Amino acid sequence: MNALARRLAIVTGAALLVLAQPLRAQDAPIAIVVHRDAPVESLSMDELRSIFLADRQFWADRTRISLLVRAPTSDERTFVLDRIYQMSEAQFRQYWIAKMFRAEIPRGPKIVFSTDMTLELVVAVPGSISFMRASEVTDAVKVVRIDGKLPSDDGYPLR
Amino acid sequence: MKSRLSLVILVTAVVSPGLCAGQPVDTGTTTPEFNVMGFGDISYVSRDGTNEDGFVIGQAVAHLSALLGPSFSVFGEFSATARDDEYATEVERLIVKYDFSDRYKLSAGRYHTPIGYWNSAFHHGAWLQTTVSRPEMVRFGSRVMPIHFVGVLLEGNLPSGDLGANYKVGYGNGRHSNIARAGDAGDVNGDKAWMLQLASRSRRYQGLDVGIGFYADEIELPGEPPIDERTVSAYLAWTREDPELLVEFLSADHDNGAQSGTTTAWYAQFAYRLPGERKHFKPYARLESIDVDASDPLLAPFDLDYDAGIVGLRWDFNPYAALKAEFRSEEFAGGGRESNARLQLSFVLARLH
Repeated sequence: MNALARRLAIVTGAALLVLAQPLRAQDAPIAIVVHRDAPVESLSMDELRSIFLADRQFWADRTRISLLVRAPTSDERTFVLDRIYQMSEAQFRQYWIAKMFRAEIPRGPKIVFSTDMTLELVVAVPGSISFMRASEVTDAVKVVRIDGKLPSDDGYPLR
Repeated sequence: MKSRLSLVILVTAVVSPGLCAGQPVDTGTTTPEFNVMGFGDISYVSRDGTNEDGFVIGQAVAHLSALLGPSFSVFGEFSATARDDEYATEVERLIVKYDFSDRYKLSAGRYHTPIGYWNSAFHHGAWLQTTVSRPEMVRFGSRVMPIHFVGVLLEGNLPSGDLGANYKVGYGNGRHSNIARAGDAGDVNGDKAWMLQLASRSRRYQGLDVGIGFYADEIELPGEPPIDERTVSAYLAWTREDPELLVEFLSADHDNGAQSGTTTAWYAQFAYRLPGERKHFKPYARLESIDVDASDPLLAPFDLDYDAGIVGLRWDFNPYAALKAEFRSEEFAGGGRESNARLQLSFVLARLH
């Protein structure tokens, strides 16, 4: 009985430990989402990078792209800084300050603080683009294929 | 004069189809967005063999930018610089820009002349640059290269895939008869300056930036024959910090018909952001040189020959502030030498929305 109780305690403890872990961004694919009217269905990783770096600032129909980025400490932001920007938090901050300093952009990215806020703004702002866990995407926004793949596809690059 | 006008007409003809092909969507509901940034620095300078040690207030710089519509923006930069008995205030940049697309962005105003790297990338932002001091070739009030110009600028991306190629073409007032100044209140002669820069910001090798530039002007000094100026420049910047490498070269030909000469200037700067727990520290070193041809009709009278080496350490103790310690050894025209040590606290006032 003691042995059974001990095993139960170990299994329960392990399960609690697993459940207590924050869901890391790399556990679920990150979807790139845009305003439903944005004239884009698919982007290569290089094109996505140029948009997130604001080297490209307009969609094909000349709508200005509005970039929404999660606030520091979110798992999604950490993932995107690592995989798309390839920058540390400090390099990311300096990149945007330098970009504004050189008068290459009139504004930096808009900071959003939750998935709900991201969805709300992507729906409301024409030309907007952002990112979120694929499991949290709704029909209100459009998911963009990256290198021809959707988040549910094998080989999706933002996984 | 006619050839320059032809160039402007040619450039206009080339870009016109793109400009007229369509314009950014303006629904008329745009609310103007304003951004404010500031830079400042305070230094302590100790010079070898002098009694001039002391604190120095560097430039206090304010940046204002506003997006007045989806395609129309205004950018201003204003500085206050400590002098012996006053503060000198200056409109450093004032740019009104219309973005037709990523390929064509047309603006007018006062700029940092886009013919190199440092002059555009860091300029008044002491916090942005790794080091305490700027290279002598791009120092404030430099005569070696035109630091500012006033006119119009067309810039944009070039179709080049991963290469990330871009261009800037400028046309405007040349240098003032005080050649450290731009022609802010008009050109001193009828010959406008023009410039071209081609650069690449690689998307595949994030952090790699290379470029070449050309600048042409006719300079008018009081009581002197006009001097043709032709400057070519090239740079390579690798800004990933592990390591960081900046190399820039400039060659300026000056010819007044009776006399000609070439001035060359360069710097090479290396830095390395330490890994792990020491990531807030970045040691650095730089070598630089200015070599003025004795027959250069524009620059020879100013004794600008210069060689220097610096070593230093940057400590990013706060996300928006850095403390830098730097030792600098310099040799001037005529063989004069000076060593100095500088401690600088620099900061940026910025906020991402």
